[in-house]
Amino acid sequence: MAYEMIMKPMTFKITWKDGLVITPWERPIGPTHGPSDPSLPSGSPVKDALDLAQDVPHSPLDQFAIKSFLDMRVGYLYISFTNPTFFMLLTLGLVFLLFHLVTKKGGGKSVPNAWQSLVELIYDFVPNLVNEQIGGHVKQKFFPCISVTFTFSLFCNLQGMIPYSFIVTSHFLITLGLSFSIFIGITLVGFQRNGLHFLSFSLPAGVPLPLAPFLVLLELIPHSFRALSSGIRLFANMMAGHSSVKILSGSAWTMLCMNDLFYFIGDLGPLCLVLALTGLELGVAISQAHVSTISICIYLNDATNLHQTFFIVIFL
Amino acid sequence: MLEGAKSMGAGAATIASAGAAVGIGNVFSSLIHSVARNPSLAKQLFGYAILGFALTEAIALFALMMAFLILFVF
Repeated sequence: MAYEMIMKPMTFKITWKDGLVITPWERPIGPTHGPSDPSLPSGSPVKDALDLAQDVPHSPLDQFAIKSFLDMRVGYLYISFTNPTFFMLLTLGLVFLLFHLVTKKGGGKSVPNAWQSLVELIYDFVPNLVNEQIGGHVKQKFFPCISVTFTFSLFCNLQGMIPYSFIVTSHFLITLGLSFSIFIGITLVGFQRNGLHFLSFSLPAGVPLPLAPFLVLLELIPHSFRALSSGIRLFANMMAGHSSVKILSGSAWTMLCMNDLFYFIGDLGPLCLVLALTGLELGVAISQAHVSTISICIYLNDATNLHQTFFIVIFL
Repeated sequence: MLEGAKSMGAGAATIASAGAAVGIGNVFSSLIHSVARNPSLAKQLFGYAILGFALTEAIALFALMMAFLILFVF
């Protein structure tokens, strides 16, 4: 979905300077002037910077472009091996390798080394969340599923922070697929555990009957919006974060290339900002995995225990 | 014309970050209030505050995402 959304502008062409016909996607950097802009005097810092910045990707959204490595089509199904597939498999492979190496020969050592501590930290993090958020006796049953979801989103987010790699969770299709499948699973769990009583989620207890039709509608909207919101949250965080890092580093690079002492000193500003933002993005990558795990736990608690335990209702 | 309108739209989309600023300020001011009242809960409250911060920041990023979409996609 994100791919189509991004690639749609490629369908029309614009005429650039000197009668060169290119798509807007391929246009030289800078919104208004090309590299050989005759209005700028030769040797001006802006022109030098623009000429130097030629090989930099042109739009901050370029980093999310999906490229196909192996074309595969079955009828109308497009199941190519693309770079998201590759990075997802790479991340999962590395995580599985780490977990396997740490728990080799029937579990780790009683005095863990750094890697084992990391794996134990990740493993221990989820049961705490699950025990805090989900009431009743069912929590152990759902722990593996929640743990896998947490580990997947955590490592996909973190892997995307490596420069020149590809962030998988910045694609709406992937996060939406994740959140929709979790939503469907939670609904099934709710019906399985409570039968048709599950439908009472749409009516809080103790509501006068004349109000019921409106309240059912009002409760249904946020409930079904949960399926969208956890996907959108992850996607928006990742995409906005990566784009802003890209925009700022592009600005720092352009200032660095301007061949001017003033800009060279001023370049420290954006550069420090990029560094700070990278740190923030690392934090966001971890906290978003945390937040999405918590919201899954809350939804699961709502589905299994209906309205017995009250907790903060989180819309987004 | 279109470029100008896009810039105006993207600029207008970032007004939303004012609300997120108020929200984040509110989260942390509540944290400070609560910790001042009961310092022994500081660790637990900090976890909740970070959760609230992440949720509030997500809203700000929706606005930022809209600005990016307006600027770069259409």
